[in-house]
Amino acid sequence: MKILVALKQVPHQDARLDVNGDGTWIKEDGIKFEINSYDTYALEEALRIKDAGEAEVVVISIGPDRVTQALRTALGMGADRAVHVNDDALVGSDSLGIAKTLAAIGKEESPDLVFMGLMSDDGNASAVPPMVAELMGLTSATGVLKAELSDGNVRVERELEGGALEVVDLPTPALLAVQSGLNQVRYASLKGIMAAKKKPIDVKTAADLGVADAVGSGGAKVKIEKVYQPPKGDGAELLEGSTDEIVTGLVNKIKELGLL
Amino acid sequence: MSTLIVTEIQKGAIREASYELVAFAQKIGGDYASLVIGSGVGDLATAFAGKGGGKTYVADDASLADYNVDGYNAAIQAAVAASGATTILVSNTPSGWDVAPRVAAALDAGFISDVFNHQDGNFVRRVFNGKLDAQVSAGGGTTVVTVQPGAIAPFEGSADGSTEALSVDTSGARAKFVETKVAEAKGVDLSKAEIIVSGGRGVGDPEKFPEVIQPLADALGGAMGASRPVVDAGWLPHEYQVGSSGQVVTPKLYVACGISGAIQHLVGMKGSNFIVAINKDADAPIFEVAQLGVVGDLFEIVPALTAAITAAKG
Ligand SMILES: Cc1cc2nc3c(=O)[nH]c(=O)nc-3n(C[C@H](O)[C@H](O)[C@H](O)COP(=O)(O)OP(=O)(O)OC[C@H]3O[C@@H](n4cnc5c(N)ncnc54)[C@H](O)[C@@H]3O)c2cc1C
Ligand SMILES: Nc1ncnc2c1ncn2[C@@H]1O[C@H](COP(=O)(O)O)[C@@H](O)[C@H]1O
Repeated sequence: MKILVALKQVPHQDARLDVNGDGTWIKEDGIKFEINSYDTYALEEALRIKDAGEAEVVVISIGPDRVTQALRTALGMGADRAVHVNDDALVGSDSLGIAKTLAAIGKEESPDLVFMGLMSDDGNASAVPPMVAELMGLTSATGVLKAELSDGNVRVERELEGGALEVVDLPTPALLAVQSGLNQVRYASLKGIMAAKKKPIDVKTAADLGVADAVGSGGAKVKIEKVYQPPKGDGAELLEGSTDEIVTGLVNKIKELGLL
Repeated sequence: MSTLIVTEIQKGAIREASYELVAFAQKIGGDYASLVIGSGVGDLATAFAGKGGGKTYVADDASLADYNVDGYNAAIQAAVAASGATTILVSNTPSGWDVAPRVAAALDAGFISDVFNHQDGNFVRRVFNGKLDAQVSAGGGTTVVTVQPGAIAPFEGSADGSTEALSVDTSGARAKFVETKVAEAKGVDLSKAEIIVSGGRGVGDPEKFPEVIQPLADALGGAMGASRPVVDAGWLPHEYQVGSSGQVVTPKLYVACGISGAIQHLVGMKGSNFIVAINKDADAPIFEVAQLGVVGDLFEIVPALTAAITAAKG
C-alpha cells in the first residue's frame, strides 16, 4: 500500500504578518514557517495506517528551499521518503497550477490513498485537494474526520455544519482532505529525526513534471491583485489604562447591561 | 459574460445562501441562469425561477437525492455546457467546497474561493484566517467562484423565470452516500446560556481553562465556551465549541479571550447581544465584531476581572 501526503509549509500561526512591497502578499523574510496545521493531521492519519499494517508514506511539498525543513520534520515523524518541487518557475502559481504539479507526481506514484489538508492556513483556498483528485481521476472527500479502510473501499465521515456528519463510501484509490482534530498528532522523536537524515528527498522542477506551462504567474488563471489589512469598520471601543482601570470599565459595562 | 448560480437544497428547501448567490450574480452584472440539483425537485426549481433564479436548469434524478461529489460534479458541468456560463457561483458550504474545485479542474477554469464581495471588478476574500483581505481578479476564461454564506443580503424579490430539464449522466459516480449523522445533544447546551466566556488557542494550556476561564464564567453566572483549536487539541469536549461546526450562540454577553476571530468562529457568536474581546493582538479580527475590546494579556485581565465581579456581587 502506498500513501501520498501533500503538505504545505506556511507562516507560523503566531508570525507577525506585514504586507510586502508591491502589496500582493506578505513579507516572508524574518518570519518562522511551519507545516500547515491541517496537513499535520493528514500526515498523522497516513502514519497511523502505516503503524497498523504495511504502507509506504511519501510526503510531497511544493515550495522554496525552506520547505526542506518541513519535509525533514515529516520524515522524522515517520514518513519514508519525500518529493520536493523546488523551482522559481512555480512562484505566482494559482491553485490549479499547484494541483497540476501535485497530480503529475501523483500519476507517477500511483498511490492507493492520498491525504491532504482541508485548507491552507495562508491562502485559505480549500482548492487543491479536489482539483488533484479530478486531475488524477480519483474519488475524493473533504472535511474528513474519520477514514476506515477495508478491501478496496474507504468509509469516510465528513464534517457538515453544526457538527453533523456525512458518511460516504469511496472506492480506492481515493483522495481525502482532512479536517483538523481527527487525530492527535505525534511529535518527531529524536531517534526519528536522526533516522530522517538518511531518508531521501527527491528534488524536482516544473519541467521534470511537464507542467511548466501551467504554473507560475504565466500559467495562472486567477491573480491576487492586492493584499491589505481589512478596512476597520466601526470596531470595538477599546478600554485602555491600568489593569484596574480596564477592569472597572468592564465591570461598569456589565452592570449597565443589567447582568450584575 | 454570463453567470450560472448553483443552488443548494437543505431540509427540503432552497437554502438562503442560494438567494445570496442571486444577489451576488446581480452585483457582478450580466445575464445569469440557475441550477437546481436533486430528486423530485421540479416544484422547488419552478419556485426559485420565479424568485430571482431566472432561467433555471433542473437536474432531477433519483441518484441525486443526496449529495454525491461525482453526481453533482456531472450535473454542474452539464449546466455549464447548456448555459454557456463563464462565471459559476457556488455557496461555500460543505458540499460547495467539496465539489466546486473539481468542477474548476475539469473545465480547466480559474477558481476563487470563499469570496464575500465583488469590488472594482475583483473578487474579495479573506486570507490568513481573517487577518488580511485579498482582491483576486479572474482571467479571460471560465471561473468557478465560491461565495461565503451570509456575506451579502439575499435577493428577496420576484421576477419572471422558467425551468428547463437537464439530463445528467450519473452512471460514472463512484462516491456513495451512506447516511447523515446529526450532532448528538450533549450535557452543555450553550444555546440557552445568557452569558458565555470563551477561551481560544491563546489560552495556551488545558489547565488554564479551569484555572482562568471557568472562574470568570462562574463569577458571572454563565457558561464556558471555546474555539475549535481548543477542542481539536482535546483540551475540552466538542460540546464547548462555538462556531460553524460547533454551536451557534446568541447570549446577552459573550466574552472572547485569546480568540482571533476567524470567520468560522464569528458565524457562531456574532449574533450575541454584546461582545467583549480580550486579545493581545490589536489587529485581531475579533475586535471588528466586538463592542468593547481590551488589547492585552488575558492572564492579567481575566483573573482581575473575576475578582472584581466576585467583589461587586458581595
Ligand atoms: C470548515 C471549518 C470549520 C471550522 N469551524 C470552526 C468552529 O466551529 N469554531 C471555531 O472556533 N473555529 C472553527 N474553524 C477554525 C477557524 O478557522 C480558526 O482556525 C479558529 O477559530 C481559530 O481559533 P483561535 O481564535 O482560538 O486561535 P488563533 O486564530 O490561533 O488565535 C489565538 C489568539 O489568541 C491571542 N492570544 C495569544 N496569547 C494571548 C494572551 N496571553 N492574551 C490575549 N490574547 C492572546 C492571539 O493574539 C490570537 O489572536 C473552522 C475551520 C474550518 C475550515
Ligand atoms: N504548495 C503545496 N505543496 C504541497 N501541498 C499543498 C501545497 N498547496 C496546497 N497543498 C495541499 O492542499 C491542501 C489545501 O490547500 P489550499 O487548497 O491551498 O487551501 C493543503 O492542506 C495541502 O495538503
